[in-house]
Amino acid sequence: MAQFGQYTAPVYRRQRIVRARPSLKHLAHLKRLLPYAFTYRSWIILGITGILASRLCEAQVPMFMRSAIDSLALGDPDILLPVMGILGVVLVRSVISIFSSRLLRRVAIATSYDIRKRYFSHVQTMGSAFFNQFGTGDVMARSSGDIAMVRSVVAYGWVQVLTFAFSILVGLCYMLFLSPKLTLLVLIPTPLVAYLGITMSRRLFPLVREQRQAMDDVTSFTSENLNGIRTVQAMAQEKQEIERFEDISTRYASLIYRTAKYRAKMNLVMPFVTISSTLIILGYGGQQVLTGQIGVGTFVAFFAYMHMVTGPIGSLGGWLSSFTSAAAATQRLFEVLDYQPEIQSNPVAHAPTKMIGEIAFKHFTYRYPGAGEDVVSDISLSIAAGEVVAFLGRIGCGKSTVLKSLVRFNDPQPGTLFIDNVDIRGYPLEQLRSQIALIPQDPFLFSLSIRDNLTYDNPERDQPPIDTAAQLAELVEAIEEFPDGMGTIVGERGITLSGGQKQRATLARGLIRDAAVLAMDDCFSSVDTRTEERILRRLKSIRKGRTTLLISHRVSTARHADRIFVMDRGRIVESGNHAELMAHNGYYANLEAVQSNQDQDRKRKAALLRDLDIEVEVVSG
Amino acid sequence: MNDPAIKESGKPQRDYSAFDAQLTHQALNVSMFMRLFGWLKPYKFTLTIAIILTLAAAAVGVLQPVVTGRVVIDTILLPDPKSEELPDFGMGELVYGVSSLTGASPLLSAVFVYAFLVLSTALARYAHRLLLSRSTLQALRDLRSELFRKLETKPMSFYDHVSVGRVMTRLTNDVEALIELLTGVLVLAGEFVPFFLALYLMWAISPALTGITILFLPVVAVATSYFRRVLGDTYRNVRNAVSNINQYMQENLIGMEVVQLSGREDLNAEQFGERNLAHRDYQIHAMNLETVYNAFNNSLIGLATALIIWYGGGQVIQDEISLGSVVVFTQLIGMMIGPVQAVGAQFNTLFRAMASGERIFQAIDWDESTKEPADPIPLPDSIHGELEFRDVSFGYYMGNEVLHDVSFKVKAGEKLAIVGPTGSGKSTLIKLLARFYDFDDGNVFLDDVDVNHVASADLRQRIGIVLQDFHIFSGTVMDNITLNNPLITEETAREAARMVNADRFIRELPEGFETYLSERGQNLSQGQRQLLAFARVLAVDPEILVLDEATASIDTATELVIQEALHRIMQGRTSIVIAHRLQTIQECDTILVLHHGKVREYGTHDELIALQGIYYTLHELQFQDSRIAAELSGEMLDDKVLAEVAASDEDDELQDEEEPGIDTDSDQFQ
Repeated sequence: MAQFGQYTAPVYRRQRIVRARPSLKHLAHLKRLLPYAFTYRSWIILGITGILASRLCEAQVPMFMRSAIDSLALGDPDILLPVMGILGVVLVRSVISIFSSRLLRRVAIATSYDIRKRYFSHVQTMGSAFFNQFGTGDVMARSSGDIAMVRSVVAYGWVQVLTFAFSILVGLCYMLFLSPKLTLLVLIPTPLVAYLGITMSRRLFPLVREQRQAMDDVTSFTSENLNGIRTVQAMAQEKQEIERFEDISTRYASLIYRTAKYRAKMNLVMPFVTISSTLIILGYGGQQVLTGQIGVGTFVAFFAYMHMVTGPIGSLGGWLSSFTSAAAATQRLFEVLDYQPEIQSNPVAHAPTKMIGEIAFKHFTYRYPGAGEDVVSDISLSIAAGEVVAFLGRIGCGKSTVLKSLVRFNDPQPGTLFIDNVDIRGYPLEQLRSQIALIPQDPFLFSLSIRDNLTYDNPERDQPPIDTAAQLAELVEAIEEFPDGMGTIVGERGITLSGGQKQRATLARGLIRDAAVLAMDDCFSSVDTRTEERILRRLKSIRKGRTTLLISHRVSTARHADRIFVMDRGRIVESGNHAELMAHNGYYANLEAVQSNQDQDRKRKAALLRDLDIEVEVVSG
Repeated sequence: MNDPAIKESGKPQRDYSAFDAQLTHQALNVSMFMRLFGWLKPYKFTLTIAIILTLAAAAVGVLQPVVTGRVVIDTILLPDPKSEELPDFGMGELVYGVSSLTGASPLLSAVFVYAFLVLSTALARYAHRLLLSRSTLQALRDLRSELFRKLETKPMSFYDHVSVGRVMTRLTNDVEALIELLTGVLVLAGEFVPFFLALYLMWAISPALTGITILFLPVVAVATSYFRRVLGDTYRNVRNAVSNINQYMQENLIGMEVVQLSGREDLNAEQFGERNLAHRDYQIHAMNLETVYNAFNNSLIGLATALIIWYGGGQVIQDEISLGSVVVFTQLIGMMIGPVQAVGAQFNTLFRAMASGERIFQAIDWDESTKEPADPIPLPDSIHGELEFRDVSFGYYMGNEVLHDVSFKVKAGEKLAIVGPTGSGKSTLIKLLARFYDFDDGNVFLDDVDVNHVASADLRQRIGIVLQDFHIFSGTVMDNITLNNPLITEETAREAARMVNADRFIRELPEGFETYLSERGQNLSQGQRQLLAFARVLAVDPEILVLDEATASIDTATELVIQEALHRIMQGRTSIVIAHRLQTIQECDTILVLHHGKVREYGTHDELIALQGIYYTLHELQFQDSRIAAELSGEMLDDKVLAEVAASDEDDELQDEEEPGIDTDSDQFQ
């Protein structure tokens, strides 16, 4: 059990996105933002001028105080001018700073808006290689966290840093003007202040980061634990889990404490360093007043200027850290923005606008980027328009790759894949994807109404095709049972569909397009076999003359096809219709035996299992 | 209670709406605060010292300007006869005392005294911050753990109604709000000590000038809280806009294939653009407000200084007060305005935290639990594993009876398959066995011990349950098998994985048993997750196995591996399986057909086939198309299919009504 105040390594292990720690080198990445900010250059120039002006106004206040105090020290009652001066300067400064910081922050907000807009459009052109490299969680984090980081640091950070810089500059000028000697003396400790300020706040940074991670630990532990509460309780693990939680929660509290302690330490050390400047003014400046070299007004004003100069120095380190992390965030953003889409649509396409559905693979080979071996190698086959073709084979045999190539989710080599005798790369992407309906393996519905999901490709669709598609996919009855029928919202904010319902809805979404080529990627796995068969039979009759490709694990599905291709390790090992393949007595026949022999004795099944296992091992080796 | 007329069992439905309540501004809730402070009690010693230090820091802090203004200016730099009549709170005596003691000049002595004051303020503040955050953090850690403990042991009926998200909010955001409240507000309270001390000093020096200075405070307070409220609303809009953006983006990323297949890129960019634009505009709005607020804040001290110099200057000329006093005033004004601004800024936090506190205590106080025996009978170390349901009825709430008088018996080492359509009560039966709910009527016996008399933790050790939605936790594969149970060694876990054929795919994972699995095991296939769940149960080596077979179909190779694993874990164990596959059913000794919460058929495969009832029909359906891999999935077995059976089955049903549990009385139990 962790004790409070011990910062032990996390007891709760979870996968974290490991990122390079931001360092000063990263700062160069900030210049990538310049082209974006450059759009607003006139705002920026105006804003910076405004900040300088407001600092000059600010610096005027101690001068007026000085003249007022000097007047009073001499017994001169005429202090109305300095008082009105202070009032005027303060008001003018307020107005100027309102407008200048608005201008500059608006630049940052507008910039982040522009970046996010580009980011989204850019990501939409990305293919599987990109998502495999980054993962949706990371792409998401870059959009939400990194853009926000860039904005807040750039918006608030540089307004603040400019303000500080001008404060120091202006403050110094005034101090030198009042008493060069005193100024130099007061400045003696500032390098130390700056050094300590920068190093201490840079050391604070990792502490804050660790504290934030510990918070994430608390959140994700509780989320997982409560989501799996049934499992935890069923396995009688509550006690252990409570102990684990106490550990995590103690560690988190300890880390907050550690950060608080460090902050307190900074607040303790800083006065010890800055006090020497104050003491110099008090002692040496006081002496100068006594000897008549400077007036009391100057003495008082000096305090004010000293605060103007040394105040910001202490927090410089903090800003430096923020800027380095913003720079790291910028880098992460541009990693995505610089990523070239794997698939380029052919802009000067001269393909026929209406597809017939004749497909030809010619020595088609595909290898995923970075993979050691081809997932599909040297496949040649042609599918006539109107044919129904099934692909069968174990997980990873390449059958999905074949289907995905038809919509260029995987980009085939030039001259290897033709539709209606035109290289698939000759079609504009949009046209290709609108005439080949691919039903993906994982059913995914948006949290929209059923209707909006079905008409996702074209929200303006009329009712009849929607009804037809729903009927074809046997979705009508399910829809009728939903509270709002077609208008029922699905997903997180609506009702939850069963796996089979989701798959059928996904199917209907594809069928609604009535495409020349229908490619179904194992999209019946949660639909029961009888329903599946009914759907397939209906599709077969309604899709006369149009091409259908399907992937399945079930022999019962595949047997409806005109031709069946059995794939293994990227090659076609068997092909023919059901009867032919059964006669061939190979993998297909074997699979048929396993799937249909419900009532065979266990020994036979075990034997088949062994055979399959051996094959699995061969593949992996 | 045993009156057959009362068929409607169950408990009244609870009102869970409290858990959906949104944060609202409420009246000051004193009792909540008292309760919250109760959690600080164990740390009251630390807290007391912290409070004393706060006072000390404040006192020395306030005296600093007195030294520069009243002593240095008024007595050393510009000796003013008026100064004699004005208070200097002992600072003059201290400075001149140091001077005469050390022989240093008065100016140098003042420098010493000033340095001493500044440094001791810093030290006291340092210590007080440490102690304060230490005690509050510990107290809130305790509170959070207590809340978690309560939530962890809440019965399933609670989680059926309250979403995990809502509960999470209490554990995270609400406790965070309290941390902010306690550390923030207590520090703030600390700032008010110098406020009052400064007020006292100012009053002592010049009541008239103090009066003028105080005029500022209500303006500051009202303006700050107004700005904060308006800003709070605006920021809420910004946050909503952010979550709109994120939600849209997330969904698009997950469904990117569909987006691209549907050619929706342009439309989606447009829709995203709207959300992006809304976000930008809210942000600009918030920023505009903020710049005004900042400018207002920054001018306050300047304006107050002008006023003090103008009025104070007049008084100096009239010899009412000294010049140094005016300087003291210009420096103390910061100490006055600062805390008021801070309170204005924290006002909303205070109310938010109050609501959070209420929600936390509400969750802690929520008394909902399954019945635990007051005096539990401990189960012997080794049990036979005979399980009997005797007239068990259950409903999730009144008027919703899901199981009616269910009776059956599984002998030690026997295997029972439960078959029935969706909604027949199969899953509920399993949940009752896991003691997720109290059953309303009837008894369940384990080796002739009524399970209602056994502690549920004890019972769950003996009954291994594999639920359909077996949860994969993020962590290593090993963690997921042992579930961090210290009683399960790595050896046991590896052996369990081997037994269920899981070790093959585990070895192929990049780091074997040490591979991290993401939450819900997204990096595993359906079949692999199932095998892992088997290994998890097998590692505990329970006497009784209860299993809800997964419905989704998997590829044949994996299917066979799972069947094989299933066979092994059921071996020699009393097993109850909700079966969706004929292979699984054939593994079992007896079959129980549930329909609408009633036992409709019960017996061996051959007996039920001979009966020509529901089971027979199901079986026939499967074999009409003998090539199909068998799945008695719920969807297939819907009521419509069964309606076909109903005609031939009507007589049996009547019989069932008259003589409930007829099948259980069949000869095989004798």
